[in-house]
Amino acid sequence: MTKRKIRPQKLFGVAITYLAILAVCFVFLFPILWLVLASFSKTGSIYSFRGFFPTEYSFDSFVKLFSDTEMYNYPRWFLNTLFISLMSSLLGTTLTILTAYCMSRFRFKSRKALMKTTLVLGMFPSFMTMTAVYILMTQFNLINQQWGLILIYSAGAPMGYLTQKGFFDTISVSIDEAARIDGASNFKIFVRITLPLAAPMIVYTLLSSFVWPWSDFILPKLLLKNKDLYTVAVGLMALDNTEFSRFAAGSVFIAVPIVIFYFALSKFLINGLSAGAVKQ
Amino acid sequence: MKDTDKKANPFASLGGALRKGAAKVKTFFRTLPARIKEKFAGAKEILTQGNGKVAASMCVMGLGQLLYRQWAKGILYLLVQIAFFAYFILKGAGDFIGFFTLGVTESNAWYGIEGDNSVIMLLLGILSIIALVFYFVIYVANIKDAYRIQCAVDTMKKPESFKKELASLLGKNFHKTALALPIVGVCVFSVLPIVFMIVIAFTNYGGAVVPPALVDWVGLDNFGKILSLGQFAPTFFKIFAWNILWAVLSTFLNYFAGLGLALLLNRKCVKGKTFWRLFPILAYAVPGFITLIAFKFMFSYGGPINQMITGAGGTAVGFLDIDAKWTARLIGLGVNAWLNIPSGMLLATGILSNVNTDLYEAARVDGASPWKQFVRITLPYVLFATMPVLISQFIANFNNFGIFYFLRGGLYMDGYFLASDTDLLINWLYNMSIDNNYYSIGAAISIIIFAVTSVISLTVYVLSPSYKQEETYQ
Repeated sequence: MTKRKIRPQKLFGVAITYLAILAVCFVFLFPILWLVLASFSKTGSIYSFRGFFPTEYSFDSFVKLFSDTEMYNYPRWFLNTLFISLMSSLLGTTLTILTAYCMSRFRFKSRKALMKTTLVLGMFPSFMTMTAVYILMTQFNLINQQWGLILIYSAGAPMGYLTQKGFFDTISVSIDEAARIDGASNFKIFVRITLPLAAPMIVYTLLSSFVWPWSDFILPKLLLKNKDLYTVAVGLMALDNTEFSRFAAGSVFIAVPIVIFYFALSKFLINGLSAGAVKQ
Repeated sequence: MKDTDKKANPFASLGGALRKGAAKVKTFFRTLPARIKEKFAGAKEILTQGNGKVAASMCVMGLGQLLYRQWAKGILYLLVQIAFFAYFILKGAGDFIGFFTLGVTESNAWYGIEGDNSVIMLLLGILSIIALVFYFVIYVANIKDAYRIQCAVDTMKKPESFKKELASLLGKNFHKTALALPIVGVCVFSVLPIVFMIVIAFTNYGGAVVPPALVDWVGLDNFGKILSLGQFAPTFFKIFAWNILWAVLSTFLNYFAGLGLALLLNRKCVKGKTFWRLFPILAYAVPGFITLIAFKFMFSYGGPINQMITGAGGTAVGFLDIDAKWTARLIGLGVNAWLNIPSGMLLATGILSNVNTDLYEAARVDGASPWKQFVRITLPYVLFATMPVLISQFIANFNNFGIFYFLRGGLYMDGYFLASDTDLLINWLYNMSIDNNYYSIGAAISIIIFAVTSVISLTVYVLSPSYKQEETYQ
């Protein structure tokens, strides 16, 4: 009796859930779909569209993107961006995770002071310091150098350690203590126990510190003057207005690696390995 | 009841927060003399109890350690001393003096005089001061170390061997090893530029005074100008009010929409979670500036939305026109949500995967409704884990440069000084300092903003449960 009563209600709930999901997905998909279709439009101009959609389709803009490299060397920009983002992501994540781990697990003298200082520093509008960064990089001879960008991105990354610290705070310390009784050093505990448990958070950090250089335009615009060193962001912004479909094609293309990353890594992202570990 | 309190805590009870903050400041100053005394007690002890070998370390770093036959450590300290002196004599001292003079010879192409570049001198001066501070810290550590060895020897113990101390860097002192690199990086690439900008606020850098012209110290003149000159103050307060409203609205919208989306996709009845999550991730993957340009086009006169309106017989709407105050603001809010909800969802999903599932089972056995489970278990846990993120998102939104730069950049309106009614303070600063060369005034305004935001968020952070009870969920 009760079973029959609940069932339609449950079905209704499922239907509402799916409707909501579909609506959300539509909202997120639509502008991207529009951009993708624009990249396949035959004419390059922005104004040859009927409503949301181009009038004629072709592959021309993608072919042009990779073959017509004299003015706009997209393949080169793409490799530059890939290199800078990968290196900054690796270095930045290492630094961030180390910082977060120490702030969460160790109780040392200047800890609270450090935490407050980073919070205050993070509040400073970052681009106000651009002039200073520029002069600094001239002094270090790092203008027009990809490593200059990588240094800035990865050195700034630990400032955002709070997310990761919040995560470490929610991981039980009882495993650490057990290992310490067994004679493991803090370094060993960090590498053997904490890091595997923090895998979802590491993946999140890798992803977010990869995306930042990937889509930043202020810093590369400031520091990379040579057209061959451009990142995709700066290069695409330098495109002429009449090159709209090339712009769309270029933007579509740089979304691809992130999507691949997500597919490859989503398992880590969602199912925290600590699900099976001791809690509370 | 308790949970609703928790939910409203950070921003609603600001008055209480400020009162508590004031009390904290009071106790801080009351206990200050005692704490200073405590700090100097250690120094006094070393000065009165330290023997000749400690004194040797005071004169030449590492000498005491060498006299105690601690070779490796002694040589390391000695090398630091030599390196620092070499730097300071060859370069540091000149940089240090340059910080105060900011250059004396103006360049003159006619006579072929290569003048001083005040801005670079300023920066190098700050660098030399940082080097001095670092040296002092190492110097004090060196004396303390010598005294520690003395104490060990006096009590007939063997002083810790260098090897053992190195090993402690992976054990007891692991945090020192791990934090060294991040701290140095942050100092050079974040602190140094910030200090530079703060210092700029007290000079006349900007306008006609840019190198090769010589820059001078002007004290508090820039702050005086902001308060007395009629053109800055009205714009400042108008933009400030909108900026606060924007930061609060967009932070709450993005946070709860992201959490809601994560919970929606986390429901048991949803099949193919990975597939559905792909859509927000797609939005996340496309770089923000591309989406912003795309959105600007979408809402423009020739854009698809207006084409549809005219196609249906309406007249085109200027969504982002100069007089479109609230439509432009709402579009900005929506576009910002579109950009930021995916990352919020990712974070919430990661954190939700760590919630203790036993709690839900217990709640289900006790007959708690899904809503009650959310309010009593999920929300407190997620808020606890993400309160710091919430605050940093508030700041990020407060200083959200991209949205209105791309949607409506470069508009100057009547009643505003070099700004428009959607501009946030950060956009105004950009217009002032990058586009119009008001460097020192811009720096002074950014200090004011910085003071306001830091006081608000520090108070909220210190009073939040994630700071007060870090161990709750451990």
